[in-house]
Amino acid sequence: MRPLAALLFVLLASGLLPGPSWAGEGRSAREVLDRADDLFRGRSSHGRLTMKVKTANYAREMTLEAWSKGKDLSLVRILAPQKEKGTATLRSAENVWNWLPNVQRVVKVPSSLMGGSWMGSHFTHDDLVKQSRMADDFTYETTFEGARGGRDVVEVTLKPKPDAAVVWGKVVVVARGSDLLPVEIVYHDEDGALARTMVFSDFKDVGGRAVPVRWTVTPAGAPGESTEIVYHSLEFDVSLDDGFFSLQNLQR
Amino acid sequence: MLTLIHAWRNLWRNGRRTAINASAIAVSTAVLIFTFALLDGSMRAMERNATELAVGEAQVHAPGWLAERSIYQAIEAPERVLEAAAGLGAAAAARSMGFGLLSSGPRSAGVQIWGVDPGAEGRVGQLPQHLARGEWLPGEAAGRVVLGAGLARTLGAEPGAELVAVVQAADGSMGNVVLRVVGVLEGISEGMDRSVALVDRRDFDALFVAEGRVHEVVLSSQGKVEAGALAAAAREAAPGLDVRSWRELLPVMVNMLNIWTVARWMISLIFVVAAGLGVLNTMLMATFERTPELGLVRALGATPGRVVLDVATEALLLGAFSAGIGAALGVGVATWAQVHGIDLSGLGAGNLSIAGVTLETTWRAHLTPGAVVQPVIVTLGVTLLAALYPAVRASRLDPVQALGHV
Repeated sequence: MRPLAALLFVLLASGLLPGPSWAGEGRSAREVLDRADDLFRGRSSHGRLTMKVKTANYAREMTLEAWSKGKDLSLVRILAPQKEKGTATLRSAENVWNWLPNVQRVVKVPSSLMGGSWMGSHFTHDDLVKQSRMADDFTYETTFEGARGGRDVVEVTLKPKPDAAVVWGKVVVVARGSDLLPVEIVYHDEDGALARTMVFSDFKDVGGRAVPVRWTVTPAGAPGESTEIVYHSLEFDVSLDDGFFSLQNLQR
Repeated sequence: MLTLIHAWRNLWRNGRRTAINASAIAVSTAVLIFTFALLDGSMRAMERNATELAVGEAQVHAPGWLAERSIYQAIEAPERVLEAAAGLGAAAAARSMGFGLLSSGPRSAGVQIWGVDPGAEGRVGQLPQHLARGEWLPGEAAGRVVLGAGLARTLGAEPGAELVAVVQAADGSMGNVVLRVVGVLEGISEGMDRSVALVDRRDFDALFVAEGRVHEVVLSSQGKVEAGALAAAAREAAPGLDVRSWRELLPVMVNMLNIWTVARWMISLIFVVAAGLGVLNTMLMATFERTPELGLVRALGATPGRVVLDVATEALLLGAFSAGIGAALGVGVATWAQVHGIDLSGLGAGNLSIAGVTLETTWRAHLTPGAVVQPVIVTLGVTLLAALYPAVRASRLDPVQALGHV
């Protein structure tokens, strides 16, 4: 399930590493970030998912199989549609390679194109890799606690540190009050305008803990557009050695 | 006739001074002609490079495409544009445009991929003739690609090399294909040199799932119709589309051409002043020297008008004689520079480029009748003007005093 989990890391991991910035009521803020972080961090995973992309110009649906290990390694393979079957993306730290079965080649995504769409979705390649780099980039504080829209939530607002090289101007994480798992993350650009919204829903029990299996990303300013990911199967702590995430295995 | 003979004789009374002045006027005329021919040559080269290589005489796009360059902003019913062009007697070439990644082993580059009609490109411009190496695209969907020279260097790809193209196709999928490099283009424009890869439109369609989308139609009448008129006609024939002449597409270049036109006049002004002062000096000296003689002529009954005519004829004769020699000299040098060109490659590595349009390293003059006639007329006019003051001065001499002048 990994590349997309990276998104969570972008924000969530940020509060975890040395947190010089936590204010008095930061306890629950930190816990919100901890909970989300514990969801995916430092473990291995394996899952199957569908990704539905709707844009003004096309709609497409893909079935993917994904593996991850730690926070640096992930591999995603397309199972359907038939035309793209076998196409795979390998991420190792900040590098991304694509295996293109049609032409039997591995192509590394150059840094100039990391801002481009991943597989035609509303995710960019940068979304897949930025996690470790952005860890120190935000300060955070709890900005709301209580009932909202009929449910008990905790809202944590993250702001980039002055010298941080971050594309977002503000990120707001909303977690369930009951277990502090994220339900919504709202991204604002540097001018403060809404950029995109991620919603997590359909919490399922996976290996003894609740995990959202449906993620929806809605870009701002593009009505009707969205990317939705639904995990059909997901397991944690599978045994995968590092060699699984190699260029050789990518071409398999 | 007698006036002319007198004038001619008077000129050669002080042969050395006249010769020096004649050569100064001749050289300035010649330099002026040569400079004009060189400027005209480079302006023509810029304009030709713009219209025959990079841009064409006019281009048609969907509204908004020039700003966003999205693959979805295609020209609706491009056939009507092609038909309209045929109706205007202009050649037209349809292009599909997309962005993607080309990679060759560990090297890769983000590129603009143009899907072109190889045959039509040859009719609208000289792209197929500007190959530095290799060949132009074959007229079939064979997975061939022609690269800009800078891009070829970035990728380390020469004709024969295989590249992988990865693009986001119009249907959102990841289009990919292996392309074989057949040719490398050079000396077109900075942008094309660095980042353009040309493939056959049918290959483009398959790679981008583009379903025949056309993003640009290039029009060229090979100079038969003025670009603005061609654009206006196309605009009328294809309402709702964004039609622009090359002048509208390359405003920086047009500014540049305007600056050169101004420069042309500034240069002539400088030469005019220099040549004019020379003539003024000659004629002043000549009349001053001949003060007693002019006094005698006046005493013998010559009218002031007659004296003015004599002196002015002398100046005009000097001007005409010198300008003639200068014109011959200038035409000779300019013709040489037009035929052989001046090699500028020693001045800097690679190509010169102005406003993004590359100039060839050989600077060729272009001699037009105007570039000869203008300097000659200007020289004659200046000579005459410069002679007026000494002529009038001579005509106002008091014969008695003039006769006594030593």
